[in-house]
Amino acid sequence: MPQNEHIELHRKRHGYRLDHHEKKRKKESREAHERSHKARKLIGLKAKLYHKQRHAEKIQMKKTIKMHEQRKTKQKNDDKTPEGAVPAYLLDREGQSRAKVLSNMIKQKRKEKAGKWEVPLPKVRAQGETEVLKVIRTGKRQKKAWKRMVTKVCFVGDGFTRKPPKYERFIRPMGLRFKKAHVTHPELKATFCLPILGVKKNPSSPLYTTLGVITKGTVIEVNVSELGLVTQGGKVVWGKYAQVTNNPENDGCINAVLLV
Amino acid sequence: MALYNFKKIMVVPTAKEFIDITLSKTQRKTPTVIHKHYQIHRIRHFYMRKVKFTQQNYHDRLTQILTDFPKLDDIHPFYADLMNVLYDKDHYKLALGQINIAKNLIDNVAKDYVRLMKYGDSLYRCKQLKRAALGRMCTILKRQKSSLEYLEQVRQHLSRLPTIDPNTRTLLLCGYPNVGKSSFINKVTRADVDVQPYAFTTKSLFVGHMDYRYLRWQVVDTPGILDHPLEDRNTIEMQAITALAHLRAAVLYVMDVSEQCGHTLQEQLELFNNIRPLFANKPLIIVANKCDVKKITELSEENQKIFADLSVEGIPVIETSTLTEEGVMQVKTEACDRLLAHRVDTKMKGKKVHDVLNRLHLAMPTKRDEKERPPFIPEGALTRRKAMEVDAPKRKLERDLEMELGDDYILDLQKYWDLMNDDEKQDKIPEVWEGHNIADYIDPDIMKKLQELEKEEELKERAGEYDSDDESEDEEMQEIRVLAKQIREKKQLMVVESKEKDVHGPRMPRTATKVERKTLEKEMGNLGLDMNDKDGSHYAQQARRSRSIAKKRKREASAPPTSKTRSQSASRPPRDQSGLRDPKMAKKAKKIMKNSQKGMNRQGKKGEADRHVFDLKPKHLLAGKRKSGTTDRR
Repeated sequence: MPQNEHIELHRKRHGYRLDHHEKKRKKESREAHERSHKARKLIGLKAKLYHKQRHAEKIQMKKTIKMHEQRKTKQKNDDKTPEGAVPAYLLDREGQSRAKVLSNMIKQKRKEKAGKWEVPLPKVRAQGETEVLKVIRTGKRQKKAWKRMVTKVCFVGDGFTRKPPKYERFIRPMGLRFKKAHVTHPELKATFCLPILGVKKNPSSPLYTTLGVITKGTVIEVNVSELGLVTQGGKVVWGKYAQVTNNPENDGCINAVLLV
Repeated sequence: MALYNFKKIMVVPTAKEFIDITLSKTQRKTPTVIHKHYQIHRIRHFYMRKVKFTQQNYHDRLTQILTDFPKLDDIHPFYADLMNVLYDKDHYKLALGQINIAKNLIDNVAKDYVRLMKYGDSLYRCKQLKRAALGRMCTILKRQKSSLEYLEQVRQHLSRLPTIDPNTRTLLLCGYPNVGKSSFINKVTRADVDVQPYAFTTKSLFVGHMDYRYLRWQVVDTPGILDHPLEDRNTIEMQAITALAHLRAAVLYVMDVSEQCGHTLQEQLELFNNIRPLFANKPLIIVANKCDVKKITELSEENQKIFADLSVEGIPVIETSTLTEEGVMQVKTEACDRLLAHRVDTKMKGKKVHDVLNRLHLAMPTKRDEKERPPFIPEGALTRRKAMEVDAPKRKLERDLEMELGDDYILDLQKYWDLMNDDEKQDKIPEVWEGHNIADYIDPDIMKKLQELEKEEELKERAGEYDSDDESEDEEMQEIRVLAKQIREKKQLMVVESKEKDVHGPRMPRTATKVERKTLEKEMGNLGLDMNDKDGSHYAQQARRSRSIAKKRKREASAPPTSKTRSQSASRPPRDQSGLRDPKMAKKAKKIMKNSQKGMNRQGKKGEADRHVFDLKPKHLLAGKRKSGTTDRR
């Protein structure tokens, strides 16, 4: 029975086939032709996948070639000039940077007073009621149409209990209730899965805010105790706002960006 | 048992391949057509099916991987330890654990998204949910890339491990590197282990099989062990230690007497003492190898003392040389005998023995007188038994003859035939003679059988079995016999007469021709029948062909009745000969005819006009999806 490295042992004892090296060399040189034949003749889905993969390969190849070429040529070294070193004719303009910082701070304070927040998505598409709420017909003859079911993802708090089913006007199905959101920190570029504390504002309508409907552009409050942020005064920050950046009902998850 | 399934583990695909295969399978095996205007439940079902199908495939494949790979707790401790040495138990368990987690995660993802899809109210939404689900499952698998690669390597190495049965009779070879363990196994079994002058040629365990006393024995060759503590040992040495620790085998500790391996006898003795604890409860033999270079008697005093001490302790020391093959058989028999005795002992001490012993009873015949009746063993059996123990070839084998003669060797099996005259051995025997197969008549007792048959026949004849029974017949029978004889004679005469005549092509049978009444009466009268009774006769009147009584020509009985069309057809050449000048042309015409019939014959058609189609809607053309390529025809 063939044991352990029997192939290598056979090669050691008997050597290679007489045409082995020839065949290998020819096979390798044929590869270019086969690849081009494939690229020309493939059709349909296979072609799409193949072209995508090949495109990625080519980009990599070009990058490596460029890197190799960079080594050979001489480049201007940007690091050599230290920062802050200013040519002679600009010597008297240093005071500007500090002034810019101060004026920015004043502008931000004014905006806060006005209630306008700087958010990553300033404008979002408004969702109409027919889109968000679906009419549920009830009654003996299915004529009454006062119940509505929420068709978008929503958040209900921890202590939420439904009103008696006969009287509840807005139905929030359990399958569409989410508790966690994937929140990205814009500077750290890291994403965390944090529990939602509540819906702060839904840009489409205040009704949605009270219902807890989460659509694209909604500002939610998340529990950031995981991140271990601390205020100036030494207090632990455990809640922060984040804005939702995707359509949760289409993707099955809530992706948000932390508002710092 | 898990041992033997190491070769049957399915290939573990790489992460990329796995994803590609599963996604393309989903695309091929699930329905692909869906429209916006379909009913929403149909749309939902369509996309849910895809999500579930993908999940099912991933689940199945991952489960197969998990069940195929052996669980280290379920297999024999020898293999568990060996796998720990080779693949690191922790890494192995972690990799399999990761795969398990991935499987559970994929299941959860599918469950969540299928639940969400129930609320999908448009095609776009369901499609996006399906896309998100498949994407998540594939991402989970992408993260397992390194685990899958590791498992594939483990699988490849595992399938090439030698199948060592830990419970059967085994001989284990151990010692320093380069002392001659691999040469020993090459000599004793059919294993072909690499033998080279450098140390650590054998890097893993090898197994060979041999026969002794009608039983199958395993011989396990290990890589050499150096003398350092257990913690410092590398993977290669650890394999040898594992084999020593777990296999219940007879241990053959091989020492190099000539010190050609690069280590002195003292060092070898040191190693022996260090690994002594591993030899507990195992029959042990010291093999002093390479004795063709240096014998023990040629050694120095202190070295000879080493061997003397060992033999005093009860461990047999046997000198061997794998080059000249002296002592190899002795080692083999000694080791095998000791191991068998040891195994029998252990079995006797065990618990299962009593089940068997209770049912065994050796019956000894009681002595009825003082005569000694020892068991009879024929001479030949005794000599053969002795020869087997010595294991020397008794007669010159054909193989040896072949080796001697080299290229001149011709296989001549006729010299082994057992004939009365030895010089007839090389005679050529024909196979067929006078149309008979000689082989049919070859029978060693053929003359005897012939004589017996003849004797029987003689007896029968004498007893009168072949005499005809004349007296038992009465007058009627005799008359009938006479008549029958006459009829026979007459028949024969008629046959001879007709044979003398000329034959004119096809003939009508006699019964088809008209027979004249006069002829009939005459013939029957000749035969002795009374034809005078005209009233009781039933002669048929044939209607006259023409109104006037035409003169009928006397016709011969055997001439065919010629009608008008028949006479013309006799003068016209038949269709397949008309228009053809010579046989060459006729042959060609026949060939053309046959050619044109070939197609019809192959399709089993009755003729040119048979246009019946057996299968109007063949399944292989009409089932399945319209794949890429031209679809303008079926």
